[in-house]
Formats: sequence, structure tokens, C-alpha cells
Amino acid sequence: MRGLVTAVYLFLYTPIALVVLFSFNAGRNASDFTGFSTQWYGKALSNTFLMEALQNSLIIALTSAALAAIFGTMAALGMERLGAKTRAVFDGLFAAAIVVPGVVIGIATLVALVEVFGFINPALAAIWPGNQPPKLTLGYGSIIAAHGLFTMALVTMIVKARIASLGRDIVEASSDLYATPLTTFRQIVLPQILPSILAGFLLAFTFSFDDFIIAFFVAGSNTTLPIYVFASIRRGVTPEINAIATMVLIASLALILIARFLMRERTTTT
Amino acid sequence: MSKDYKDNLPISANGFMDEFMRLKRGSVSRRHFLGITGLGLATAVMSRFPGALSTPAYAGEDLGTQMSIATWPNYHDPATFENFKAATGVAVEVNVFGSNEEMLAKLQAGASGWSLFVPTNYTISTYHKLGLIDELDLSKIVNFSQSTESPRFTKEGQIDGKTYALPKNWGTTGFSVNTSKIKAKPTSWKDFFEVAQTEADGRAMVHDYQLTTIGSALVSLGYGFNSIKPEELAKAEELLIKVKPHLFAINSDYQPAMRATDAWMTMCWTNDGAQLNRDMPELAYILGTDGGEIWTDYYAIPKDAPNKAAGYALLNYLMDPANAVKEHIANGAPTTDSRVISLLPKEITSNKIVYPDEASLTPLEFGAAITLTDPGRAELMARFKSA
Amino acid sequence: MTSLPSCNASSRFREEASLLVVTNQRTSRMALSPDTRKRLITAALVAPASAWLFVFLVLPFIAIVVFSFGERAPEGGYQAAFTFAQFANLGSRAAAFKNTLVLAPIGSFVCLLVAYPVAYYLAVKVSPQYRLLLVSLVVVPFWTSLLVRTYAWMYILGARGIPHLLEFVGIENVRLLNTPGAVLLGIVYGYLPLMIMPIYVSLEKLDRRLLEASADLGARPLSTFFGITLPLSLPGVMTGVALVTILLLGEYLIPQLLGGGKVFFIGNALVDLFLQSRNWPFGSAIAVTLVVVVVIVLLVAMRIAWRVAGTRQVDLV
Repeated sequence: MRGLVTAVYLFLYTPIALVVLFSFNAGRNASDFTGFSTQWYGKALSNTFLMEALQNSLIIALTSAALAAIFGTMAALGMERLGAKTRAVFDGLFAAAIVVPGVVIGIATLVALVEVFGFINPALAAIWPGNQPPKLTLGYGSIIAAHGLFTMALVTMIVKARIASLGRDIVEASSDLYATPLTTFRQIVLPQILPSILAGFLLAFTFSFDDFIIAFFVAGSNTTLPIYVFASIRRGVTPEINAIATMVLIASLALILIARFLMRERTTTT
Repeated sequence: MSKDYKDNLPISANGFMDEFMRLKRGSVSRRHFLGITGLGLATAVMSRFPGALSTPAYAGEDLGTQMSIATWPNYHDPATFENFKAATGVAVEVNVFGSNEEMLAKLQAGASGWSLFVPTNYTISTYHKLGLIDELDLSKIVNFSQSTESPRFTKEGQIDGKTYALPKNWGTTGFSVNTSKIKAKPTSWKDFFEVAQTEADGRAMVHDYQLTTIGSALVSLGYGFNSIKPEELAKAEELLIKVKPHLFAINSDYQPAMRATDAWMTMCWTNDGAQLNRDMPELAYILGTDGGEIWTDYYAIPKDAPNKAAGYALLNYLMDPANAVKEHIANGAPTTDSRVISLLPKEITSNKIVYPDEASLTPLEFGAAITLTDPGRAELMARFKSA
Repeated sequence: MTSLPSCNASSRFREEASLLVVTNQRTSRMALSPDTRKRLITAALVAPASAWLFVFLVLPFIAIVVFSFGERAPEGGYQAAFTFAQFANLGSRAAAFKNTLVLAPIGSFVCLLVAYPVAYYLAVKVSPQYRLLLVSLVVVPFWTSLLVRTYAWMYILGARGIPHLLEFVGIENVRLLNTPGAVLLGIVYGYLPLMIMPIYVSLEKLDRRLLEASADLGARPLSTFFGITLPLSLPGVMTGVALVTILLLGEYLIPQLLGGGKVFFIGNALVDLFLQSRNWPFGSAIAVTLVVVVVIVLLVAMRIAWRVAGTRQVDLV
């Protein structure tokens, strides 16, 4: 059995190893290894558009993850207090947000926004006093909005599960000791659900950063990193792509190590 | 063709091509190439004196720091955009598409972000009808010279006497064959589809593009390239679906597959055919004797372009024969401008792939506007792809 | 306080206490009764999420449902109409539906076959000190861009990769890329970490003593596995399979890159309809159908899981 498992690990990592290997290719081609060179890292870092795509991806991922974490946690807390029927509706909506394929979310958002902008923009242009009426277009907002659906649902699900397993007696004890609801929340509930919120945030960030299909539909004129990589595959790949992929891989590894370190500390205190 | 130009070059035309091929293969650095061919000095001189390139459009007007162009695969010399950036400070982002339909879809959805793009001749009237492109202000494009352009290729850019698009280059659609892998000698589209099912089984490619793929199928059956007649389309669909299991891929980015010999035969445009043949002489470019497409690609500016000033600046830059000649040497596409022809080295102008004989052009047709919007053709292509 | 009062008393006490706090701190604003205040807070808590869900999930979905009954505008796009023509035309994409509905479950199943032994090994056979490291190593590829990893396969399966190596052994003209097999491989590769994790989590909770007891009672390893391990890990297996299958139903990238435009999934058909052939109403109809299919698969999965869980409980009792 150990042989099988080793084979699987090799299977998982060989393509990644190849990507990293070719990032050091001296030649132009991503298919003939002609020598060792780090030139592509320099080229990738000085490529304005690649860097812009990376920056866009980071900003979008951070924003959508943060909003998802905050609103999702709020929703999880709020849903506790709702009646059974309303809660069922919310459960259904959140389940839909997770289960509906990304391609459909991308399409639906594109369709809805294009129609809405088709109405709003001329109306704005008509009533706007100056010469340059603001024009609503697809961009950061639309990507964050579409990503946020899935990520918020994810956070809500995770935090809800955690809340369900919380002991009620501590919360009651706290309020019996004259603590205001806010203090109870801050000092008792929050620390206990914080690991789940963080886990949700991390998952949300990863999902948003890696997403291709939703951004493909609603990014408008902006480029995110996955869109840039996909376009490069069509355009003819240079090892520049391998370089940026390797850098992202190392960053992800570092992030995971940090996250695991942080999580382990927290779980021991519980 | 003046002889003076040739005598004063720092390098012979042969030497130029040798060095250029070495550059493309990565054997020499770009600095070496620019130095040895004298282009580096020329660029340095021209960028130091922007006035030498002419156009009031550069001086003083704020062009911003970046712009986006939507174009086709392997269609530009990367050095062109770098030189443009050196001259104007505007970085150019290149978006590549494999069909006009994809470009139209992006423009229709709004916020494409392009300040310049490359539509093919048959699309311009529809873009105008849909209000997606601007009428061009020719006073900003002083390098364009109407008189030296061949009207055969430029007329579709003008609607009701107004200019909406300027010609980039013309070209043909044929097919590229790896003669060392394929013993058969296909000369027509009928041959192409037959060989694709036999000797090139699993190794042939067609474009992800309704105009050329459906058009070639129609032509191979003896119909017109631009037909929208349901009976003829049905026959073409039958042929395409029959061939599909034998194809390697349906993709307009066929160069990587041909270079890696994953594919041995592909529907091909002039520029790619010339580039492939230059780097791998066993890849021959064939024009179908039973028909095919002759086309002109244009430059146009979208109505919602975010950086129109830069778009005009780049367009004007590209219309300058001195810059255009470099583009045409690199991309292997035939030019519509006689000023550029006079600057091109003999290797290029005598290349039958790039400048075919008039006789081989006669069976070819220009694409028709109706094919862009005809739902029958669009649906056929979509059905073929999902079959 | 030596003992906690009963539930009712304490909550009433709490409410009165909060009311006191409110009145003490904000004597000018004491109009709110505890009930209304409670409801306001609840509303405030769920408001952002509700707004987001409504504007970006419900409304867009309504939009595509409306579009699916419309007509294609002459130049592409949507034209208002009410017709069932789009749904009637679903058959023209039968191959795409077939590809997806066949390759997604198969891919899921193959993924399961590869994932289960790995998850088992990690959860049961590996010593705890190495377990964390090895599990992280499984997850890391998942965090790396699927796009770049799939692109690596394009190289491996292309003429410069495995077929090139096979030529040295004398096997000529092997075509691996742009086949359903390539897409299957890409699917298994891409989703393997996602399949391993739930199974691992499920197996890790397994009480080793059950396995020991089974062995003590004379059962052979295989019977122990089928009688105890497998049934107890079934929730994890169901989660993994359901998750992967549902994600696969909407897949676009892997068939696009490894299928060369020849292996068409529903996702590819959708991208084509919106970004190339510009038939928005038909695309909307397919999108709606895809959602229906996904919901059906999900309900079936939940039913099976419920049935299995139910049976298990009966057995234990």
C-alpha cells in the first residue's frame, strides 16, 4: 500500500515539479529545456500587466474574503435567532450559493449586470449635470460581488457549525453575571468562533484568488491572475508564466504554514 | 523599388533574415540583433527625436500610461510595442482572440477596455450598425496615406464616405501541412478534409471560428464560402461532424501544436503559414484550389475605448511605413500599402506564401458581413463544437 | 451566586437586566422593548448577507430564467419574447450533456478509487507525527492554481512529453492529448486533494478499538474493512463524491485545455454560447437546466447518504 500512496504523491507533484523546472529555462520555449537561468523571474516581476493582474487578484481576494468573513459571521449569528421557516429560507439560499456552478453564477451576474447597466447608464447620462456622467461597468465590484456569494455562504456554513457546538451554559453564565450581550459576545462567543472565522476567511481568499470562470465572465476590462495565465496559454507561453506560478506556489506554501502555525496555537488553548 | 535603400543598409537582406531567425530561436539576444542590424541605432535616434516620426498627436497630448489592444495570435512584432512605449511612455497590453465573434461578444458586453482592435473586413459594417466603433479622425493619423493604399483592400473600412477602419494587412486562409509527416499532397479543401480522415487521422486542426471552418467545408463541397442557405449549411455540418472525431483539436491557436508536431495539418492564415514555414521549412502553406478566403484586417477604435488618445497614437505609429515594415517582416503578412512594399526586402516580397500569384487568389472570396450575424452559421459552429 | 437559577428565570432576569442597562445608559432613548430590540439586532445581523444574496443571487437567477424564455437578437444577445423554443432546442447540445453526465461521475468514481487508499493510509497507518505533514502535502497542490497544473499536463501529454518518451521504446504515433482520457486524467488530478480530505477526516475519527475488537473476534482484514471501516467512513465518502461530482458538472477549464475543443462539457457549451455564438437566451436555458441537474444530483446524494446513515444506526442498535 505504501507503494500506491507514494505513486499518488508523485502523480500529484510531477506536473508541479515540471512547472517549477521550466521556470528556470534559459530558452524561450516552455517545452525545450536549454539551460538554467533566472531571467524569467526578472521578466515576470517587471511585466507591468502581469503585476497588475496579480495586484488585482490580491485586492479582489482580500476584499471579498473580508466581506465574506464579516457578513457571513453576522448572518450565522443572526440565523440562530430566526424562526424555523425564515431560517430554512436562508439555509436554502446559502446552499444554492454554494452548489450552483461557478459558470452559471458568472453568466447570471453578467446577464443581470449588463441589463441593469443598460438601463442605468443612459438614465444617469440624461440627468447628470456635467459632461462626464459616471458610467457603471463590469469591474472590481462585479467580481467581488460574484465571488462573495460563494465565499459568504462558506463562512456562514462553517461558523454556524461551530456555533451549534458551543456550550450554552457559558453564555448564560456570562449574562447571569450581568454582562451585556455585547460583552458576552466579545469575551465569550467571539474567541470560540474565531478559528472558524479565520478558516472561512482563508478558504474564501483561496477561492477568490484562484477563481477563473467567474472572473472570466464579469471582469470587464480588468485582468486577474488566472485570466492572465489563461490568455497566455492561448497566446503562446513563455517561461514567464512558470515563474509567476512558482512564486504563487511558494507564497501559498508559506501562507499554509503560517495558518497551520496560528491554528495549532489556538486549538491548544481551548 | 529604389536601389539606394538597399545599398545603404548596414547589413544585407540575407544577413538580416539570418539574424532575425537567430533572434526568434533565442540564439542571440535582442540587443545583439538590434545592434548588428542597425535597428537599435535607428530606434535610439527616433525615440530621442520624436519629431522624426512626425505627428502632432504625440507632442503635448496626455496619452496616459497604458492601453489595451485586441488582436490575433502571432500578429505583431513584440519590439513594436516596446518601441512605442519608449517613444510615448504608454505600455501596451495585448489581448489575443481567435475569431471575430469573440471580439464582438466582448464588445457587446461592454467595458472591453480596448483602445484599439483588429477587426476583419466583413465585420466593420456590423460594428458600425451596432454603434460599437468610432468614425476615425484622420487628422490624428497623419501617417496614413490613402493614395498608396490598394482600394481592393481598403474599401470595406469606409462606409458612406466616412472612414471607420484603416487597413492593417491583407492575407489568405489556406492550410499548413507538415510535408515530412504527410506523404499525400493535398491541394484543395476537398483534399484537406479527406486527408484529415485518413493519413492525418488525429493530427488535423480547424479554426474555432465559424467563417473559415464552415466556409472551407462549404467550399470543399462546391458551395460558396459565404453561403447561408440552410440546405448547403446542412451538408457542410454533415461533413464537419463526420470529420470531427478525426481532428486533433478545434483551435485558432494552432502554431504551438504544429511546432510541437502534435498536429500535422491545420487550417491556417497567411501570417502563421509564413512564420511556420520560415522556422520549419517542412511546413508548407497551401491555398485551396477550390476556394477559400482572402481577407483584410483593419484597425478600429471602439466607441467606449478608455484611452482613445493612446489608441490614435498607436494607430498613427503603426501606419508609419518605417514601423509597418518591421511589423510585416516579423509577422509575415502581406501589406496593403505600396510605401511599405517598397521598403520590404526581396526575400519577403518574393515569398509566394506572403505574396501569392494572382492566379491562386482568384478562387478566394472575401468574407461577407451576413455571416457574422446569421444565427444559422453561429448555431452550426456551436453544434459542431459540442457534437 | 452559588447556583444558577432555572432557565426561564434567568432569561427573564437577563431581559430585565438589559432593560435596566438600557434605561440607565440612555435615559433619553428608552422607547425600545426587549423584543423589538432583539428583532432589530437580528435584522441588522442578517441584513448585509440577505441584501447580497438577493441582489447577486436571486435577481441574476431570475434574469437568466426570464432570458431563457426569450429569443436571440439578430446580432446576438437577448430579445424579449416568451417562447419555449430554447428549452425545446436543448437536444442540440445532447453530446455536451452526455459528456458531462458521463465523465463527471466516472471522474468522481476514479478519483474516489485513488483517494480512498491514500486517505486510509494517512488516517490509519501513518504515525501521528508525520500525519500532519503528509496531509498538508496533499492539500498544497489544491492551493496551487488549477490552471497552471492543468497546463503542465498539456505538456506531459503532448508530443514533447510521454509520446516522445514512448518513441524511444519504439511505440510510435501515440495520441494522448485532446482525448476523453486526457480530460479524465485532468479531472482526477485536479480534484484528488478535494476527495482525499473529507474521507481522511471521516477515517481519522474512526475508533481504533473497533478495528482491534474485530480482529480479536477473528475477522480477517478484508471483512473488517468491509464490515466496519468502509461503512463508518461512508459519510466522508459521500461528502467527497457529492462535492466533486457537483463541481465537475460545471467544469470548464479542464475540458477546454485537455480536450482541445473536442471534448465539450456543459460549461464549455455555456462559454461558447455567451462569448462566441452570442445566443444568450439559449445559453440561459442551458444554464437553468444545469442548475436543475445539479440540484437533482444533490438531492439524490443526500437521499442516499440519509438512507445509508439510517441503516447504519439500525445495525448498531
